[in-house]
Amino acid sequence: MPMDAKTVKLSLRHICQSYVVGNAVRDAVVDVSLDVFDNEFLVILGPGQCGKSVLLNIVGGLERPIDGGVFLDACRIEGSDPRIAMVFQKLALMPWKTVLDNVAFGPQIAGTDKAVWRAEAQKYIDLVGLQGFEKSYPFELSGGMKQRVGIARAYTGNPEILLMDEPFGQLDAQTRYAMEDEIQRIWQQEKRTVLFVTNNIEEAVYLGDRIVLLSNGPAHIKEIYEIGLPRPRHMTDPDFLAIRKKIADNMDLAI
Amino acid sequence: MTQPPSTARLSEAERVALVKRQKKRDKRTATALSVLGILGFLLLWQAIAASGLLSERFLASPLEIVGLFFVKLVDPSPDGAVLGVNILSSLTVALTGFGLAIVIGIPLGLLMGWYRAFDSFMRPVFEIIRPIPPVSWIPLTIVWLGIDLKAKAFIVFFAAFVPCLINAYTGIRQTNPVLINVAKTCGASNFTIFWKVGCPSAMTMVFAGIRVALGNSWATLVAAEMLAADSGLGYMIIMGRQFARADIVILGIAVIGVIGTLFVALLNVVENRVLGWKKQ
Amino acid sequence: MNQPIVMSDMERRELLWKRIHRVLPFLSLGLLLALWVYVSQGENARFPSPGATWDRFLLIMRHPIKGLTIFGHVWASLQRVCIALICAWLFGIAFGILTGWYRKSDSLLTPLFTAFRSVPPLAWIPLITIWFGLGEFPKILLVFIGSIPAIVVNTHAGMRFVQKIYLDVGTMFNANARQKLFKIAIPSALDAIFAGIRTSTSAAWMVVLAAEMLGGKSGVGFLIIRGMDSLDMPLVLLSMIFIGLVGALLAIITQLTELLLCPWTRKQSN
Repeated sequence: MPMDAKTVKLSLRHICQSYVVGNAVRDAVVDVSLDVFDNEFLVILGPGQCGKSVLLNIVGGLERPIDGGVFLDACRIEGSDPRIAMVFQKLALMPWKTVLDNVAFGPQIAGTDKAVWRAEAQKYIDLVGLQGFEKSYPFELSGGMKQRVGIARAYTGNPEILLMDEPFGQLDAQTRYAMEDEIQRIWQQEKRTVLFVTNNIEEAVYLGDRIVLLSNGPAHIKEIYEIGLPRPRHMTDPDFLAIRKKIADNMDLAI
Repeated sequence: MTQPPSTARLSEAERVALVKRQKKRDKRTATALSVLGILGFLLLWQAIAASGLLSERFLASPLEIVGLFFVKLVDPSPDGAVLGVNILSSLTVALTGFGLAIVIGIPLGLLMGWYRAFDSFMRPVFEIIRPIPPVSWIPLTIVWLGIDLKAKAFIVFFAAFVPCLINAYTGIRQTNPVLINVAKTCGASNFTIFWKVGCPSAMTMVFAGIRVALGNSWATLVAAEMLAADSGLGYMIIMGRQFARADIVILGIAVIGVIGTLFVALLNVVENRVLGWKKQ
Repeated sequence: MNQPIVMSDMERRELLWKRIHRVLPFLSLGLLLALWVYVSQGENARFPSPGATWDRFLLIMRHPIKGLTIFGHVWASLQRVCIALICAWLFGIAFGILTGWYRKSDSLLTPLFTAFRSVPPLAWIPLITIWFGLGEFPKILLVFIGSIPAIVVNTHAGMRFVQKIYLDVGTMFNANARQKLFKIAIPSALDAIFAGIRTSTSAAWMVVLAAEMLGGKSGVGFLIIRGMDSLDMPLVLLSMIFIGLVGALLAIITQLTELLLCPWTRKQSN
């Protein structure tokens, strides 16, 4: 599935990040430069705690990199940008808000009219298949449903770029497969540029247009793979397995 | 596509320095502000006292209090005992009641949490006693036991007993069932599991309870001494009140506060020793 | 359909235990009552008997003390507690938010507050009576002092340890500082604040007793001291029973309010 027009949507240039831990300085990300194309599903794959979430946080404006910059449509962005939204790893749903209020959080913060944000939120609640649960509290939902709320929340406000930080990391295997199909369906229905972080090779090959393989921490880019497989993909397809093996052989082991 | 780490624009050393400097600056600001807060308060107090707006009957300046501290170390007036004796007397009572509460409350709580039968037997009695504030036991105990050590220790015991028991109870109730099953598959008897698995895992909660209990016993002791005593820090401040000596009262309050703080610090040390494994 | 129930030894034993468990609470309550009757027997027993306490209750309803029946005295104490608690909550929550949310005010004010808190509330009684005498205001002030630490400490902790990920969500959607405070931090600290409200309520109820015991003309604390001074032990015990009842009632009310106002904490606390 070659891209016809490969416009560069998002660029990372020389991103570096370090933290002070006790008396030592620990590098999390070392000099990562990367181009992401428009409407591309880019998977960032890396072992364990290699710093891939840090990279995503920097793109989302949650952390300031100690060096380097992020460019959206060739303009440098500082801090969080309304055109970028994130699906968080640990189901960051606010327990004191109902599903509807969680999903509508972005427009509410932006001060949109109630009628507008209601319709907007409802549209994406329908998209992720949560009709009928608008008034439920997060604690009443299952893990997969919570993550659907997270996805719907990222979609409202209509961002151009979606960051997904191991969104399915905490789900059981069955739900995980189902959600991988769901995220593909949703993405194909509402195309966005997606940066998807995972430590699961299968998930990466199943979902990604391209896969950026990171080294074990501190993170730097080891290899970038083009995944030319047609969608929908099958995890037992020989081509799929071949790519999977190629990446697995090249991937560092997390300690 | 692989890029070697060396192409970064900032050198390693520069980055280290940058991050460290920022952290150090934050810390220094925080310390400065803390000192400023306390110092500012003391200065304000000194200024009000020195300005003479309030008569000496109502307020003594911090400097006077420090002076009085040394005088009171050797001078028994107005309450009839030097500071050391008062402190010792208070400590004896507080620690007696507190010690008793730990010795009785914690095992009771652990047993109640582990053995259902014991729980359903003790629970109603405990629930009846629990909501009665320890202070309200004072009159009854005075009639029963007089105003000596026994009476006050009994009241302090009540104040410290409840949190000890509750926390031991909840702590052992929260024992991870997986650990219990592990012990069961190893063929441990119920008592062995209680002793080797339940009790250790309840320890964190128990310590939280001890902490509350210590605060409670110190606070209740002061109340008990104010109502019925012939020595102790509580007695000292109530006498200061009767002789309209604000300086004695403030000194007493300060000493009570400092000793309370020392208790907490001491408990922290003990907790770190005993529960070292809790730290990650 | 009507199968005969066959039980193994194990099941039978379990059933037996279940029955025993059901009986035990009544057994212990019965024993407590028996103990009460036992210690109150004899000519010069120092403990009032259940009968005497009940008679005292009837007496105070017919012949009020200082113009108030026992319920009147409870109400007088409750009024003080209410006024003090409302002030303490307003001030305490504001102070807790200020120090928990803004790092600089935390460094500036928290050490001072910790020093203040290390003094037991009742130890302020002599100083407060020197300054303000024995009227109504010093009592309320004392209850205020007694209930403020719990609410401040809990609010502070709740605000200080707002989960970073919630704030990240806010950052992601470009919430400004004010929105982060009011839409994220404060709601997420609500359960901590409620814990503070619960603790401060029971603390207030304890302090009001002590304050009334040291001088006053109404309230349950006054009743206790009155009973002690006139060696009227049934009155002391009666007051203690009412104090316990009201204390338990207050705890239940605050818990119910929390469930009503923050339905999501129901699941979390389990």
